[in-house]
Amino acid sequence: MSDPVILTLSALNKRFGKREVLHDIELVLRPGECTLLSGGNGAGKTTLLRILSGLERPDSSRIDTGRGSLSWRRSRADLQKRVLYLHQQPYMFDGSVRYNLGYALPGGLSKQQRNSMIDQAIDWAELDHLHETPAKSLSGGERQRVSLARAWLRNPQILLLDEPTANLDQEARRRTLDLLRSFKKEGVSLLLASHDPIHFSSMIDRRLHLYDGRLAAIEDRKLMQIPTSPALRSTA
Amino acid sequence: METLNDTTLAALNLLFSGNTELWEIIAISFRVSGVAILVATPPALLAAFFLTYKRFPGRRLLISINSTFLSVPAVVVGLTFFILLSRQGPLGEWKLLFTQTAMVLGQIALALPILVAMGHSALQAADRRAWETARTLGANPLRALFTIMREARFGLMAALLAAFGRIIAEVGASMMLGGNILHYTRNIPTAIALESSKGEFAQGIALGLVLLTMAFTLNALLQHIQGKGQPVT
Repeated sequence: MSDPVILTLSALNKRFGKREVLHDIELVLRPGECTLLSGGNGAGKTTLLRILSGLERPDSSRIDTGRGSLSWRRSRADLQKRVLYLHQQPYMFDGSVRYNLGYALPGGLSKQQRNSMIDQAIDWAELDHLHETPAKSLSGGERQRVSLARAWLRNPQILLLDEPTANLDQEARRRTLDLLRSFKKEGVSLLLASHDPIHFSSMIDRRLHLYDGRLAAIEDRKLMQIPTSPALRSTA
Repeated sequence: METLNDTTLAALNLLFSGNTELWEIIAISFRVSGVAILVATPPALLAAFFLTYKRFPGRRLLISINSTFLSVPAVVVGLTFFILLSRQGPLGEWKLLFTQTAMVLGQIALALPILVAMGHSALQAADRRAWETARTLGANPLRALFTIMREARFGLMAALLAAFGRIIAEVGASMMLGGNILHYTRNIPTAIALESSKGEFAQGIALGLVLLTMAFTLNALLQHIQGKGQPVT
């Protein structure tokens, strides 16, 4: 029996004006799998993530999340329920860390339930000393952890991350990667866009490379860890 | 002619002696302008949101048209509504001319372009990721809308204050649509115009002081709120 699939994307095309950014992209995401998406600047990594999260409209695509192959427009509501996208620089709402975490909780919970869930997220992301701190004053690494804790409270099936370790120091990167491993253990499918595959070498299951609007799989385990290069492009 | 000092003292005396007529004029002013701003704000903010976040044909043209309305004199707005509401006008049957409702309509028309233009600027200045983060965290469009309004609240409050300041101090539309009827449609600016034309400066100064105090209080309040909202760095 084949592995379960939570999302199948096919025939995805996207142009910005005359420039074709994504051409006939196909992608399958499975639970607990970590996929690294590499590619140079402007290769279309962010656009692909935004389309998958329902934030950007493709020119054409078919998406299957278990309800049959549907257009992006008809899948959008389902994508927004299952998929969570984290910006390269996570946005913090004006308020405390607790306020930001509480934002991710669904309505209809009692105050006690909300506080309990927020406390769990604070423990999970090791934010104990920051919970009443204004979120806009946090460092890059702390913001990344708050955004991951918000995502954890949403309990998504698929987590899309745009350069999650960019501009982080070594310690902040380590803590971010630890949290990403927790997601993976919990069965969340991770799709990471990054220039730096080496940082994720211990956790990625496969690597996809975007070049010239096309997506290619890189099977060789060694190549999975090598930064984007012309040689790699030709291999892809 | 009285000196400025004498007039100001007489004005303060009028204010603090609880002159009924004076305080009635003040109450009418605040009631009419308050209702106008309350009615104008929701559609104006919604329009500002659509102009900021939605891309549709004619969007830029709408922004230009709205900006043009910013410079329309209050008396022209008054004249337009006067024609619409006069007995022979298309809305003459509503019998609204020389009522507080007519004044509210005129003030809504004056407040809308300010609220839309300044609301649009405030929302444009807000980070677009706020909307995307809210949506990706499961907020429906209405909740996401309230979220970005909250994020842009200082700019939006400034828009509200600017619009309120403009309509509570305008004389042209109120005079034409309200008719300056004592105990009914006489508000602060029309009363100042009338009393000044009669050479009675004390009441005019007293009412001017009320407007200045209101402007100062609202701006001080905004500064206070903005100060509290500054992130710790």
